[in-house]
Amino acid sequence: MADILVECRDLSVGYGDKPVLSGIELQIERGSIVALLGGSGCGKSTLLRAITGLQPPMAGELHLFGEDLYAVTDEARRGLLRRTGMAFQQDALFGAMSILENVAMPLREITKLPTAIITEMARIKLALVGLSGFEARAPNSLSGGQRKRAALARASILDPEIVFCDEPSAGLDPVVAATIDDTLRRFRDALGITVVIVTHELDSIRAIADRAIMFGNGRIVAAGTVAELEESTAPDVYNFFHRIAPTHPVNGQALDQLRHPRTA
Amino acid sequence: MPAVTELDRATRTATVHVRGDLVIPTAPALYGELRGVAKRRDVKKVVVDFAEAGRVDSAGLAVMSLAARLMARGGKAFDFAHLSATQKAALELLPASGAAPPAVEAEAQPRLPERVGALLLEYAHAGGEFLALVADVVRQAGQVLARKKKLPAGALLHQASTMGVDAVGIVGLLGVLLGTTLAFQALVQLQRFGAGVFAADMIGVSMVREFGPMMTAVILTGRTGAAIAAELGTMRVRSELDALDAMGVSPTRFLLLPRLAALTLTQPALTLINMFLGILGGLVVMMLAMHLPPSVYWAHLVSRVSLHDFLLGMGKSVLFAWIIGFTGCHFGMRTSGDASGVGQATTRTVVVSVFFIILVDALIATLGAVF
Repeated sequence: MADILVECRDLSVGYGDKPVLSGIELQIERGSIVALLGGSGCGKSTLLRAITGLQPPMAGELHLFGEDLYAVTDEARRGLLRRTGMAFQQDALFGAMSILENVAMPLREITKLPTAIITEMARIKLALVGLSGFEARAPNSLSGGQRKRAALARASILDPEIVFCDEPSAGLDPVVAATIDDTLRRFRDALGITVVIVTHELDSIRAIADRAIMFGNGRIVAAGTVAELEESTAPDVYNFFHRIAPTHPVNGQALDQLRHPRTA
Repeated sequence: MPAVTELDRATRTATVHVRGDLVIPTAPALYGELRGVAKRRDVKKVVVDFAEAGRVDSAGLAVMSLAARLMARGGKAFDFAHLSATQKAALELLPASGAAPPAVEAEAQPRLPERVGALLLEYAHAGGEFLALVADVVRQAGQVLARKKKLPAGALLHQASTMGVDAVGIVGLLGVLLGTTLAFQALVQLQRFGAGVFAADMIGVSMVREFGPMMTAVILTGRTGAAIAAELGTMRVRSELDALDAMGVSPTRFLLLPRLAALTLTQPALTLINMFLGILGGLVVMMLAMHLPPSVYWAHLVSRVSLHDFLLGMGKSVLFAWIIGFTGCHFGMRTSGDASGVGQATTRTVVVSVFFIILVDALIATLGAVF
């Protein structure tokens, strides 16, 4: 039987009293790379926030490592979340710390490892994401791509069992995007880290994802292997993979509607 | 114990047998073991045997990377044995050249005269930027007054409400407390000479000339000046100010002018409230402590506090408003970096504003006494 790390049961998540996602049923298996797809505002990032303990669900259950994340005590929840890593869309690096300090920070706070090992671990992770030599730099002196890579190094520094990445390669050049894809795959292959990415990058999805889950209108519209989704004829899925814009609501009759016969 | 070392004296080879997972909890012990082996002079080669080892995580990789460097430094050969495919894949994550920090050339530390010179240049540059900001504000204000350009719709009212109306409570409360404290202190001293009633004169002059404008300015420095710096600083960090520039919209007219105009209007009004409530607080103390009738208190006030005192107090309040407003705008606009830059801008605004408020107040008091 597959080892399930994340399981959503009839999950609804939203802000205030407005659900963004409803009736979500999904499972993420250990050792897989799963891509969450869908148009902007469809709730992918909201689901990640719920899984990482930042957005309590409105209804349903969310199980992380077999425990109901929002039914356990705060201390137990923190314990579960320490087994995960999250690379935020906006990188969320601490501006007052150097890149090395940013990456080493979770180790310093959570473990009792000697400084030499902590520093070495941080250097290895920075080398893995191609940031050797950037250790002493301040986050604001790095480019967007470099900051994202540093955020990925920080998210993986505790060797989490599962790492969540919110648009890790958005806005990056193809070479840097491929480097990030390669790093994520190596995390899974060499360190056994399960990876969940939210992305719009078709090349990334094809390169690394074992499974893809597509969201639309607040629900899951398709799930399966990337090849299965690419062959799907469901309109949302087909449009996404073939980069087809939906029919524009403007009907070309606006000018006619503005014109009207002179009233007496 | 996660590792046991065996020494082959014939080949001078130490074999470190790793047992169990090489992960965060077990890494420090193995690191200690390998450091011990690295110090041994009778060892020429070190082999780490993974036959009984389990999972290797980043901490394990870090230990192997550190050990490889330690052995190289001590002139010892270093190798692995019985690696599983997974362990090999994990070790291959290590960078080819090791994760050693790149050699950084030591930068020459500037000497004291250079440091002083750099500091003076920095101040001169900041002073130049401040004057340029004031000139731009005056120019934009002139264009708005001449109706060539206009302020953003509703901005002045919104700022006046935030800076003025919302501050009435705290400014008024502190005015009352200041007036009562002043009355108590004055009474204690003056009653010794049978001149307690003259405390009314003292409260009146102090509140109108000094404490009213000064206390209001100090409160508004912490409240409004800091808010202006933090707000503009955050906008600078988030490139919102660059966006305005790129759109061809003057940040001075769009953001600074409404704030400065609102502060210029609301600070005198708040000062007036502070003065009035301070005098009222003094009256309450005088009535309770001396049974002084309000009419006598009022008569003393009117006879002692002149129109000149009142205008001086109100004039100072406008000056202080400009100090607070321009300082907040200056440091907010000069913010660089990220969240820490915003904090720095806010702190500097408060410190510099309070310094200049007290300096200007002292200058006015000195000039008033001399001329």
